[in-house]
Amino acid sequence: MRLRHLLGLAAAVLPLAGGPALAGGDAPRGKPQRIVSLNLCADELLLRLVGPERVASVTWLARDPRGSTVAAQAAAVPVNRGLAEEVVPLRPDLVLAGKYTTRTAVGLLRRLDIPLLELDVPQTVEGVAEQIRTVAQAVGEPERGEELVAGMTARLDALAATAPERRTTTAPERRTTTAPERRTTTTAPERRPTAVVLRPNGFVAGSGSLVDALMTRAGLDNLADRLPLGSQGALPLEAIILGGAERLIIDAAPDAPPSLAHAMLHHPAVEALSARIHTIALPSRLWTCAGPQIADAADLLAAGREPAP
Amino acid sequence: MSTMSDTLHAAPLPLDERVPYPALVAGLALLAAALGLASVVIGYVPFDLGAAFGDLLDGRATLTALVLAELRLPRAALGLLVGFSLGLTGAAMQGWLRNPLAEPGLVGVSSAAALGAVIVFYSGLSATLALALPLGGMAGAAAAALLLNVMAARGAGTTTLVIGGIAINSLAGSLTALALNLAPNPYAALEIVFWLMGSLADRGTDQLRLVLPPMLAGWALTLSAARALDALTLGEDTARSLGFDLAALRMRLIAGAALAVGSAVSVTGAVGFVGLVAPHLLRPLVGARPGRLLLVSGLAGASLTLAADIAVRLLPTRPELKLGVVTALIGAPFLIALIWRLRREEA
Repeated sequence: MRLRHLLGLAAAVLPLAGGPALAGGDAPRGKPQRIVSLNLCADELLLRLVGPERVASVTWLARDPRGSTVAAQAAAVPVNRGLAEEVVPLRPDLVLAGKYTTRTAVGLLRRLDIPLLELDVPQTVEGVAEQIRTVAQAVGEPERGEELVAGMTARLDALAATAPERRTTTAPERRTTTAPERRTTTTAPERRPTAVVLRPNGFVAGSGSLVDALMTRAGLDNLADRLPLGSQGALPLEAIILGGAERLIIDAAPDAPPSLAHAMLHHPAVEALSARIHTIALPSRLWTCAGPQIADAADLLAAGREPAP
Repeated sequence: MSTMSDTLHAAPLPLDERVPYPALVAGLALLAAALGLASVVIGYVPFDLGAAFGDLLDGRATLTALVLAELRLPRAALGLLVGFSLGLTGAAMQGWLRNPLAEPGLVGVSSAAALGAVIVFYSGLSATLALALPLGGMAGAAAAALLLNVMAARGAGTTTLVIGGIAINSLAGSLTALALNLAPNPYAALEIVFWLMGSLADRGTDQLRLVLPPMLAGWALTLSAARALDALTLGEDTARSLGFDLAALRMRLIAGAALAVGSAVSVTGAVGFVGLVAPHLLRPLVGARPGRLLLVSGLAGASLTLAADIAVRLLPTRPELKLGVVTALIGAPFLIALIWRLRREEA
């Protein structure tokens, strides 16, 4: 696999002292000591797994608290803009990159035989856990990785337990408020409210996406598959509004610098919609990347499921 | 210079007599109104429009009433207003510069307006003061129009005008790209397509309110120059001897273009070729009267823009095609045909 190939490369490049990593004292030589990341999502995992002293550089995006959950840690680390010429002089012993970003830099680093780990974008909670483990293994911190995975999984499972059961036999039209016929005394409400996601440029989160998985765990019924124009990509606002969702999940970036993509989130039609249905504001940094922070996102979604009147 | 426009105006006189001017205006107004209505009806998601209108009038806040009031109606209205502004200004510029290729898009007025709007929008100025957005567009449009005026004062032939337009367009385009790349929002750099090609997608009532007053003022200024433009076809000296102050006329047209096109571009981006195609389609029907061409070109521009905006919503592309792509698909072959004809006439 790619990882084994990578470790093979690492073995070829690094003068390994041999044997398992030594605990305590001076830094164990088996663990990469000058790690560079070329992707915000890799930055986040990296800075959660290892101390800043072992990180040679992260992307400049990691310092922006709007999009990054590790802005504080990143303040102590030099930043790059994803260029190979920034990376090579750092003589990294491991480079983390996104599978779809900075392709030119990655191509050059590969030719220079610099150890490289490319990260895909996971679409499931299990995929997120697997990716955390993969990165943790590569940076030599498998225990820390397990800790992160366990913490995230425990929180997500706890949420799923309180969420109302998912009805598999949903009628295609369930817009009108269905009268709850059997009121039980359990704390969990019996029906999942329908919800629609609105991200910059009118992007929705379709079924099969990580956000969809988080919505399910938080007890929300993603309306995307029942939207008039489909559930993938950018939709015109009228399709999102006429979908008839009971909750609006919006990418909240109130202090984002101006862009048309974000201006769309403050369109008068969207504001009018959020005045009538409960709106869950999800900070961008919690769902821009797939990391342990998705548990925070799921918590916010669950809190918005049954808002306090 | 005047010979070229004379030949262009002189030939189609007979047609002019066949269609009476009031009937032409009424017909085009009806066409624009019908396309405006079609733009409201043809959206992405079909719904009971009559019921939505009823809800809107009775103040019932249904989802369909919301979509009608905040998305469909402002989109159709903006299409009408922007198209009218572009068509009208195109006709005025062709009369003023006595050049058949003068048009806000080709001579760089639209792209300069886009640059002004981009600077104001992405610097955050328009977030504190909404009016700054059309003002930025107007400042850009005015700067390009004034530059054009300087070139025209030295007797600009078609070549000078077109080369000048290329220069202004590429300068404004590259400065727009620079401004967008400097903008701190990571989405900004991708939004250059909107500013260079234009779109009416998901525009709303706030943009409509913002640009309506300056547009109407720009229309009034431009339309009030009709008689002076007619006189100008007889040559500058004759126009002057008829009592028209040509310097004042130019300033009036520059202000009119800046107000109408500058504010239009600031909310929809630069939609090309409308100001070129509309006057040329109508010129044979109004004869050698650039003054009469103004109103009908505005109406034709509105119809053309609305039709293009309906087309982008009917085409199965997601996200929808930019409006300027459709107008360029119509306008660019039109421009080539026009240049072909001019070459033949010059020969």
